[in-house]
Amino acid sequence: MAEIQDPIGFELFKNSLFSIADEMALTICRTTYSGVLRDNMDFSTAFADADGKLVAQGLTLPGHLGSIPTALDVVVERFGDDTHPGDVFILNDPFDGGMHLPDIFIFQPIFAGGERIAYAATICHHADVGGRVPGSNASDSTEIYQEGLRIPPLKFFDRGRANDAIWAFVERNVRIPIQVFGDLRAQLAACKIAERQFLELVDAYGIETTRTYMQEVINYAERLTRAAVAELPDGEFTFEDWIDDDGIELDKPIRLACRVEKTGDRMLVDWTGTSDQVRGAINNTLSFTKAASYTAIRSVLPQGIPNNEGVFRVIDVTAPAGTIANGVLPAACAARGLTGFRMVDCAFGALAMMLPDRVCAASDGGNTCITIGGYDAERQPFICVDFTAGTWGGRPWADGLQGNSNMFANMASQSAEVMEAEQPVQILAYELMQDRAGPGKFRGGAPYRRDIQLEEAEAVLQIRSDRRKIRPYGLYGGRPGRPSANVLNPLRNAQALESKVTTTMFRGDVIRHEWAGGGGWGDPLERDPARVLRDVRNEYVSAKSARDDYGVVIDTARWTVDEAATEALRSSLRSGRAAPPPPVAWTDEAPAEAAD
Amino acid sequence: MDRYRVGVDIGGTFTDIVFLDSGGRVLTRKVSSSVEDYAQAIASGLAQVFDETSLAGPDVAEVRHGTTVASNAILENKGALTGLITTRGFRDVLELRNLRMPRLYDLGWEKPPELVERYLRVEVEERINARGEIVVPLAREAAVAAVDRLVAQGVEAIAVCLLNTFENPAHELLLKEVLEERASHLVHCISYEVLPEVKEYERTSTTVVNAYVMPTVARYLESLRRELAAASVDAPLMLMQSNGGLTTVDDAIRLPCNIIESGPAGGVVGAQALARKVGMPDVITLDMGGTTAKASLVEGGEFTRSLEYSVGGGIMQGSRLLTGSGYLIKVPAIDLAEVGAGGGSIVRIDAGGSLQCGPESAGAVPGPVCYDQGGEDPTITDANVILGYINPNHLVGGELTLNAARGREVFEARVARPLDLELAHAAYGAHQIAASNMIRAIRSVSSERGRDPRRYTMFAFGGNGPLFAATMAAALHMKRILVPPAPGLFSAFGLLYADVEHHYSRTFRRVLVESDPAEIDRAWRALEDEGRAQLVHEGFPAERMRFRRTANLHYKGQLYELGVAAPPVPSSGALDRAWLDQLAEAFGEEHERTYGHRAGPEEPVELVNMVLVAEGLPDAPVVPDTLYLDRSEDGAGGGSRNAYFGPEAGWLETPVVRRSDLAGGASGPLIVEEYDATCLVPPGARATLDDYGSIVIDL
Repeated sequence: MAEIQDPIGFELFKNSLFSIADEMALTICRTTYSGVLRDNMDFSTAFADADGKLVAQGLTLPGHLGSIPTALDVVVERFGDDTHPGDVFILNDPFDGGMHLPDIFIFQPIFAGGERIAYAATICHHADVGGRVPGSNASDSTEIYQEGLRIPPLKFFDRGRANDAIWAFVERNVRIPIQVFGDLRAQLAACKIAERQFLELVDAYGIETTRTYMQEVINYAERLTRAAVAELPDGEFTFEDWIDDDGIELDKPIRLACRVEKTGDRMLVDWTGTSDQVRGAINNTLSFTKAASYTAIRSVLPQGIPNNEGVFRVIDVTAPAGTIANGVLPAACAARGLTGFRMVDCAFGALAMMLPDRVCAASDGGNTCITIGGYDAERQPFICVDFTAGTWGGRPWADGLQGNSNMFANMASQSAEVMEAEQPVQILAYELMQDRAGPGKFRGGAPYRRDIQLEEAEAVLQIRSDRRKIRPYGLYGGRPGRPSANVLNPLRNAQALESKVTTTMFRGDVIRHEWAGGGGWGDPLERDPARVLRDVRNEYVSAKSARDDYGVVIDTARWTVDEAATEALRSSLRSGRAAPPPPVAWTDEAPAEAAD
Repeated sequence: MDRYRVGVDIGGTFTDIVFLDSGGRVLTRKVSSSVEDYAQAIASGLAQVFDETSLAGPDVAEVRHGTTVASNAILENKGALTGLITTRGFRDVLELRNLRMPRLYDLGWEKPPELVERYLRVEVEERINARGEIVVPLAREAAVAAVDRLVAQGVEAIAVCLLNTFENPAHELLLKEVLEERASHLVHCISYEVLPEVKEYERTSTTVVNAYVMPTVARYLESLRRELAAASVDAPLMLMQSNGGLTTVDDAIRLPCNIIESGPAGGVVGAQALARKVGMPDVITLDMGGTTAKASLVEGGEFTRSLEYSVGGGIMQGSRLLTGSGYLIKVPAIDLAEVGAGGGSIVRIDAGGSLQCGPESAGAVPGPVCYDQGGEDPTITDANVILGYINPNHLVGGELTLNAARGREVFEARVARPLDLELAHAAYGAHQIAASNMIRAIRSVSSERGRDPRRYTMFAFGGNGPLFAATMAAALHMKRILVPPAPGLFSAFGLLYADVEHHYSRTFRRVLVESDPAEIDRAWRALEDEGRAQLVHEGFPAERMRFRRTANLHYKGQLYELGVAAPPVPSSGALDRAWLDQLAEAFGEEHERTYGHRAGPEEPVELVNMVLVAEGLPDAPVVPDTLYLDRSEDGAGGGSRNAYFGPEAGWLETPVVRRSDLAGGASGPLIVEEYDATCLVPPGARATLDDYGSIVIDL
């Protein structure tokens, strides 16, 4: 691989190219007003070379890493030389280049001097693409045919002429065409801006230099990635974890198996051994499995490596067809987000075997989706969607973050006041919970709960959650986090609900969702007593848990650690242990007996 | 004798002081900032000016001040031990934030620690719903218990933020009463009086920041008042606010959340005023110092304001999409984009073999290698010396002798040789890359908001701005650059252009087509009464008050608002349906302009917040047209230097001139040396002076 010839020209080019990719992202951000795009940043923009190889990604939703090359490959292969100035491609079919139906890809080839030299690429999560439920994201669909409109790779524009048939089909098949059209136009606007600015760049550098520099940007990322990977220990590292169930067959846990193989400056992530695809809508495409794998691996590599083909050249990802990691027709996949989040945690688990001092314990498992929808007295529809995750597992050097979005999807929470102003609900609580985090030398993040009260006569409640039966794992002596819970009317006649549920609520009913706590890292008996004291004072941890889990005795009148009592308690707890703790813990060990 | 107005700007390294009399005579002074007590540097700077001239305290007519004391208290976590009272169930609003993080793939990310630790966040049993109805009344005993609990914990400040209080402040007012009764020795504030707007996290965060810095700001301003009194300066002291308007000391002590970004505002205000004078209403400002560069947009003679910002968020690196860093403050502030590029930015080669500049900085200490104060890393200033742009012998003014040879040596060994480049080519590359980093800041205030930078004049100041302006303007296809007098002290000088200004806002959610114009008018008038009372208190007569109404609106269902100026009140004096239509149309136009599209008539426009700006106007223009600077040309100019202008132009013998030499116009290449900055005029460009003493460079 050639070194960079002109480092200054190259840096200036790279800066301009990434700036254009960022500006594409901002164009989408400012021309949309779908909350999914704006608040959840559920979109990505990128540049690829003439062969569809990713060169520069703007804002990167981690869940979209690697998705654009997969989709572009299909387009390049299908249309090849039948690609002309003014063409624009569209697709969303998960079984033909896509991810799940709400994610619509738009690609525009860019020509200079009569040759194709690049593609501008965008991908956006649309608010609705039809199907049996509003939002097209039900977790209990059992085939793709229930999930909405499937768009194969097609020319959306043919030499500048809009393909009216596609627009018409979309219009008749989605619930709010105004919004979908608006967001499609945002994607087109971003591609146009990219084309204009990219051609200015070609003017400044010339076609040949532009081509060369685009390859150099890829090579540059590859060099950085190889150098970073080479520093990791060689070997094979495996991990397994389970999703509770698919919401349809409730007694069937779903296995995720990850094997990371590292040799020299290459890595392989192999998902062989993962369960067969399931009936519920949580099946991944291979591209989404890649995204989850890249997200975990990028998190242990240094910051600042551009996301492009150069990274993908170094990291191979495989998963057998027909598994939940690589579904085939007619797998339903709208709610595959759940599986993606859990695969990131599973890949982190394998990396923790490789790099015990660099990787965190399990997070809360990714976001829970709570949807409350129905019709008001005037028969006007309302739909209240709450989609958040916020707790990390303990890290080898620090506690897990709490009240912070997941690595895989940097989503924002909604304001309770805005929800109350716009929807017939009252939020009764949104707060952190005590003693839910997995204890550890560095404990997991404390999870939160939300209590939502319905203020309308009747509504359908849907919840997609997990980490109920199989808890967020702790690492290297850290304890698992407490499980999630759904409770209807917690303060009246509390009724526990399944982790994935569809039911009816009536006026005054309250649904409480409790997120799972992050797993702990390291032996809780080694936790700095000052940290335990602080946790107790701040009511993240009770004085009882301080004693039982951490062996720390706290004088709550004076807010001090009783050091002598703590030392004695800790040594007695240690000697009461039957065996050293396992490296990974999903369950509580038999409670240690304090020896006298 | 003529009395002087004084502008004082405190930065991390230097405190700049500018004296101006009505005849345009300008006295300047740069002194080292006194980090322990910023007021001392001001006192000693004033004393130095008094010593050198025949002036004394009574000659000062007014002191205007831009300060970073509030933002430093936050950045250094040195504010008050603060308690917070919240609604039951919402104790953790401050900690949960909006969950977003500003970095991806970073397992080491840490959230900024909450300004109020959890044990100092106390809940009260109460609830007001979204319509302002009391669902659960607040019992007085509960309020008393909450206050007593915080007092017992030894807090110094108490913030109160309850849910939906902007619709009905009754419970917060009750808590205020109890606070005054039982905790009168502590500072406190309620969210209704800080930010009566919807969104609990934004409101809580702003209220907490306000309480957190209150004691620090009050102590500082009282100390400054004492120092001024000791120097017999009996003149009014006015503070620059983040929004670009001035306010009184009392107001700043009560609502310090308005002066957090006081520091960088002065320069932008000055730029706006000067640009307006010369008939260039559309400028992009570039303020480049030693560690960072800041860009902002002035359009139609008005600067742009953001509705909220984060303090302590680190330096933004090109993308405004990644939010969630720092402490959120939802008060209007001049919209600035900042990048880590300054004279001290370190030049290095990264692991992939690419040349990088910043954001790491050698700072003031040890500084660039050529300062010879122990700096080991090559910097942008070293590159500029190699290129011949900066005087290789000493900083103009003569305070510091430079060691150019050492700078060359290190740059050669660490940058040029590893890249196998000629020294000049490598230095030129570093200069270009620093410029391209700053271009990202300019793009983020212009093209990323739908504004084409080619339509704007670049207004360059700060110690390094005039050195980079031409390179950046050329890359952005901007045609003209303006470099004001005293560019290195312009943040202090700009303070002298500011007017008194107060912003008032409240949430008033109404879909326009369904709302009652009279009700909207009443609400706005109530804000106007508040503003008028404040201006009367400050001594402004009615004829020198000006009130402007702006509205924050969105299409119903959108998450963020856009601010637009309200249309003029109809001649009947009462708002009517036609006026509401005009407001909706103004919003639609702004939406199209900013975001590139607007919705059709089927989508209703919703008013979210109404804002009132109350201005107190000066009785006479404050800054005369012609200025006479005291020291700007001391030791500057004369002769020529060999300077490098890229591989094509190569090395050129470049005249080194003083600003006054440009009066008749001159062609580049030129280097304009001044006491506080160096300005570069590249080959092919033409420079001249305008009527106000600014350098105008046409590319």
